[in-house]
Amino acid sequence: MSENDKYYIERCLDGHPDDFRHLVRRYQAVLLANLAGKLGNKDRAEEAAQEALVRAYFNMSKLKKPGSFFSWLLGIADHVAKEHQRKEQVRYQRDLVRSFSQEVPPAELSQDYALEAAIAELPDAYRKVVLLRYYGENSCNQIAEQLDMPLGTVTKTLSRAYAMLRQSLQQQERAEVYPEGINEV
Amino acid sequence: MNCAEYKELLVEYIEGLLDESRKQQVAEHLKNCRNCRAEAAQLANLHDRLVNNGKNVARSKFEDKVMDKIVREQNVRLKAAAKAGSALKLRSIIMKSPFVKIAAAAIIIIAILIGINPFKPSITFAQVVKPILNARTMIFDMILGADETGMVMHEIVVGPRIRRTMSNMPNMIMVIDLDSENMLVLDSEAKTAVYADIEGDLGDRTRSYIRFVRQIIKKLQDGQVEDLGEQMIDGRKAVGFVGRGHNEEVTIWADAQTAVPIRIEVQIGQDLAFIMKNFEFDVDVDELLVSMDVPSGYTLKDAQMDLGNATEQDFVESLRIWAEVIRDGSFPEAIGTVNAMEQMPVLIQKLGQMQVTEEQGTKMGVSFGKGMLFHQIVESQGQWGYTGAGVKLGDASKAVFWYQPQGSSTYRVIYGDLTVKDVAPEDLPQ
Repeated sequence: MSENDKYYIERCLDGHPDDFRHLVRRYQAVLLANLAGKLGNKDRAEEAAQEALVRAYFNMSKLKKPGSFFSWLLGIADHVAKEHQRKEQVRYQRDLVRSFSQEVPPAELSQDYALEAAIAELPDAYRKVVLLRYYGENSCNQIAEQLDMPLGTVTKTLSRAYAMLRQSLQQQERAEVYPEGINEV
Repeated sequence: MNCAEYKELLVEYIEGLLDESRKQQVAEHLKNCRNCRAEAAQLANLHDRLVNNGKNVARSKFEDKVMDKIVREQNVRLKAAAKAGSALKLRSIIMKSPFVKIAAAAIIIIAILIGINPFKPSITFAQVVKPILNARTMIFDMILGADETGMVMHEIVVGPRIRRTMSNMPNMIMVIDLDSENMLVLDSEAKTAVYADIEGDLGDRTRSYIRFVRQIIKKLQDGQVEDLGEQMIDGRKAVGFVGRGHNEEVTIWADAQTAVPIRIEVQIGQDLAFIMKNFEFDVDVDELLVSMDVPSGYTLKDAQMDLGNATEQDFVESLRIWAEVIRDGSFPEAIGTVNAMEQMPVLIQKLGQMQVTEEQGTKMGVSFGKGMLFHQIVESQGQWGYTGAGVKLGDASKAVFWYQPQGSSTYRVIYGDLTVKDVAPEDLPQ
């Protein structure tokens, strides 16, 4: 799997930019899921994912180890997400003022936003495995190869990630049933 | 096994990673243990939720949108690069390929010969400024173009050896030995080395380039110049002189106290200009910097390049490359070395897209560069004209370029179909 990343990266650097398409195909869902969780909106996630990929393309020559393309790409995406969140905060504050006079349409959440948000909160190592497994459609064996770790570590990481996801999802549900402040009344 | 141990195996069980006997064991336990069964159900539930979401996330046309954005961004960058005159900013993207690097090196090597107009014997100058003319070593920056936005070539001259680096291609180092008319091109990033033969025009012109610097200083001392008076130049009080030759105009600014040159501006022919500045004379230079040996840790690449003499045929070929490869079928608005340098990233990128072999890429790079070298020779010898702006490649009815070879009474005219004809002065196309 990482061999393939490396192959396409070298093709791109050798002047075949269209081969970047293969990397986009491979990681689009991963990025979208990751960013939807962070940004809480499908369209914004798509915008950010595109931006992350474009940035990755133009900075490819700075990637020291082509085998670690995925981690590097995820780093770029996280960075883009932070920038977008910052911009979003400014916009939100402006909207708050405006909302006194007009309705702000609710953000369009993705189908399983709760799940994506929970994934986005996972520590890096767990997040990577979950994203590769379910959004990159890799088998555990492929993940072991790509991240250069024993299969047992992958399954243990996954197992631990499940536990964290379940906990996080339960918390979210509870928060929905008892929204903040209600308890105090 | 106890329940805790079974729970450990659940992920592998769901993922189908357990061998047959283990699988049976877990299945058996789940049948009997309600607690573990609930746990497994919850895990499977989450697993399905993840799988479903994974399938839903992918968006239509995402891939095309990203690729479109890249192409658009690429074009914006290309335009910006050309605009700023810093033509090689795309180096990091497109220079990774070894053959493209060699082709680029060939072009750049030749492009740098600018201004190496061999002085006519009619220009003689008295002996002057000894420390400068006899300088053992000389270091300076040379900037292409008439303003200071062009790329900077940093030159270290030690006797007959020159070490040259460029601001926009810092990893490409050229060591030139004028005695043996040989050049070593080093890529400090890829750690590769290539030797190139520069015997002929290229060697001669490179040699006279050093002589050129010295002669303009002589010129200043000789008094055959117009006094421009005092002015602040690069933060120093300087005296200026302008000298005019047959085909060139040279402005020199020297320190008002020491008379050491600070800045030299040169205009040659119609559109060749450069600036030299940041001079240092007789600085101690490490001999290794100008050694013609392959430095340790470098791999010598077998890519013989003959860059020596440039012919009209090379020039015709460079026009073809310009029209066909760089411009998609029509001749450019203007030609010349500075313009050619600006087109470099496009050429390199197109060569990359065409998937030419290393050999073809190098050959095209060398041809393109040699064509420019030929144009520089024409430029230094006299009259020429470019009339190709917008002419389609293959259009035999339109002239693209004309020049008068030295000592000839007729003109050579190159047409849009790249045929070349001898033409009498009265028949010269307008």
